[in-house]
Amino acid sequence: MATTGVGTTLIPDSTTLSGLRAEVRAFLDEAIATGRFVPGVDTWLGGYDPQLTAALAERGWLGMTIPVEYGGHGRTFMERFVVTEELLAAGAPVSAHWIADRQAAPSLLQYGTEAQKQRYLPRITRGELFWAIGMSEPDSGSDLASVRTRGERVEGGWRITGTKVWTSGAHHAHAFFALVRTAPLDPEHRHAGLSRFIVELDSPGVEIRPILSMDGSHHFNEVHLDDVFVADDLVVGAIGDGWAQVTSELSYERSGPERFLSTYRLLAALTERGLGGAETGAYVARLTALHHMSTAVAGGLQQHADVSSAAAVVKVLGTALEGDIADLADRLTEDDPGDGELQDLVRRAVYHRPGFTLRGGTNEVLLGVIARELGLR
Amino acid sequence: MSDPITTATANDLSSSVDPDLIATFRDLATAHGPSVRDPESGLDLDLALWSRLEELGLARLTGAEADGGSGATWQESAALLTQLALAGVAAPVGEHDLLAGWLLRRCGVSADARLRTVAVLGAGATEDSDGPDHADHAERADRPDRIARAVPWARDAHSVACLWQERAGWRIADVPADRLRITPGLNLAGEPRDEVTADLASLGDLALPEILSEATLRELDLRAALLRAVQLAAALESCLSLTLDHVSTRVQFGRAISRFQAVQHTLAQVAAETALARAATDAAVRVATRRDAGTTGLDDLAFAVAVARSCAGHAASLVVRRAHQMHGAIGTTLEHPLHRATLAALAWRSEHGSTQHWDAQVAALASAAGGEGLWPLITR
Repeated sequence: MATTGVGTTLIPDSTTLSGLRAEVRAFLDEAIATGRFVPGVDTWLGGYDPQLTAALAERGWLGMTIPVEYGGHGRTFMERFVVTEELLAAGAPVSAHWIADRQAAPSLLQYGTEAQKQRYLPRITRGELFWAIGMSEPDSGSDLASVRTRGERVEGGWRITGTKVWTSGAHHAHAFFALVRTAPLDPEHRHAGLSRFIVELDSPGVEIRPILSMDGSHHFNEVHLDDVFVADDLVVGAIGDGWAQVTSELSYERSGPERFLSTYRLLAALTERGLGGAETGAYVARLTALHHMSTAVAGGLQQHADVSSAAAVVKVLGTALEGDIADLADRLTEDDPGDGELQDLVRRAVYHRPGFTLRGGTNEVLLGVIARELGLR
Repeated sequence: MSDPITTATANDLSSSVDPDLIATFRDLATAHGPSVRDPESGLDLDLALWSRLEELGLARLTGAEADGGSGATWQESAALLTQLALAGVAAPVGEHDLLAGWLLRRCGVSADARLRTVAVLGAGATEDSDGPDHADHAERADRPDRIARAVPWARDAHSVACLWQERAGWRIADVPADRLRITPGLNLAGEPRDEVTADLASLGDLALPEILSEATLRELDLRAALLRAVQLAAALESCLSLTLDHVSTRVQFGRAISRFQAVQHTLAQVAAETALARAATDAAVRVATRRDAGTTGLDDLAFAVAVARSCAGHAASLVVRRAHQMHGAIGTTLEHPLHRATLAALAWRSEHGSTQHWDAQVAALASAAGGEGLWPLITR
């Protein structure tokens, strides 16, 4: 990234990090104590609270790694990691800005034009611009190269037609990167001919339809693009370069602490109530080890190392642990609302559990990523 | 071991050990390894290796330089233990240096070059069934015979740091081996785990004046448990590399079995679990290093070690099972090297506390921290 340079000198010392940790923790403790939010499960995906997002932005905890010249704070990945861990551990509703901050900003920094960076990054940092993900389609889940959304060259830009799905938060978001086929599929080179465009979701021809989850909650959407015009200045990077961009963005999407902390509040609730005995202890131990591994991944991002396989390990183990915590809590409790707080956490965890090991790359795909790194394929 | 996943996750922030030093450890270990286990008599100490370790100043790596040690830390010691375990070399480096050496230094005794181990003496010979209950021991303080079971490498030690409990508290003596009765025993991997019997009446003249606290005993226990975690993490890495080699060369149905997705996914899970054990263990080694430098407390060490032993203990279940499954019948034979890694892993995870014990320790520490204190505990 532009301002962080290369090398290890920019890794902040542990005193700086623990000071930052304490600062964020104090803010969140206060927010919980004053009832500003109720800690929950999986709130980075489904907990939409633009006021909290604005408050976090005010304290400089959004756009942390965005360079100062683009309105960001020019801080390190390690500092951002500490802030995100604290937000997740508090079960704070942070979904409004999560995708913009996590993956849109680094993607824009890496591939965006100067005008695109100036247009979006300052507003992302201020907590005013929310982003969604435009990768999956009804017939393209794990196999992203099979996307059928098409882009056609027209005067001054492109016309895009197709359907994106599982688009969390699209109904609140201002834009997404659409992964689009701009040249016919060549079975010999499946990853060629893909491009990415910034689609502003209030553009004519964009229709967003809700998909309700099994608990009735609404974070998923289907986004229909019907001949949507995207001007040339909203093409991301080079036409035909979409695959490299998507895989790069996925490494940001996959590598963070939300891949092992989605059910942290439930684990804390079990611990507080002395439930589960040694089995709960084993999960606390695993979560602690994943914290260490995830810290190392953030350190790797800091040094511009390729962290994709290390991140895949954290995600495979972490998302399984999130689900195991949900299942342990479910086995330890009766479905009888005697302890309202615990009951809410257990139910939400059980409702959301199937998604943990699917979103951001299924565990089956990630095991393949790890196997490739091991030289087996 | 050059598995990129393990190294990427483990070394980015943690490893402050000089790569040249690690290379020296590796060369030494591979030159002397692997140790060969006789199914009946177990593993013998390689005296040539031990002399070499002493010559190079590696046998007392963490000893104070004034005492003839090398003044290194847990980090370097863990690197040495790792290379020895990866090469399948059995040697009492940790027992000698990290346990006996540390304990004697605490008591103001500068350990000389004699090979040492530690024996925590329990109840008398006639009290076999009573278990290690300290209060119980105190009541029997007058009984002269005390026994320590499964003492690592006692048969090879020249001197044994013996601990026993009296009414006033824990006492310690640096006892020449010829004043102890040593009955050979073996752990699952064939390493010496001997029974040591001491006649307290005859040790009176050797007892040091110090009365050791329960905290010191607890720290000794944690150090011993961490020593095994470090060895265990390395044993799991050996399981992974042996299995990777095997599936890449074993041909069935006309192709290397590594071409099958079921095999690939199994290996990926083995690698992931191994990396988790490594991360938890490295973190505990960092805490132990800080603990020795006086910059963190015993409770921090207790949590970090319990986490490492829990993670590595559970990892051993998956890794050992899958490694054998991937090897097929050949991996079950004495001839094949796999058992050196799998049996060592299983032996080490069950010494100085079972995995269940360490799970329960994590649970107890987490519970004591409370719901709001848990996250600070995890991120401390």
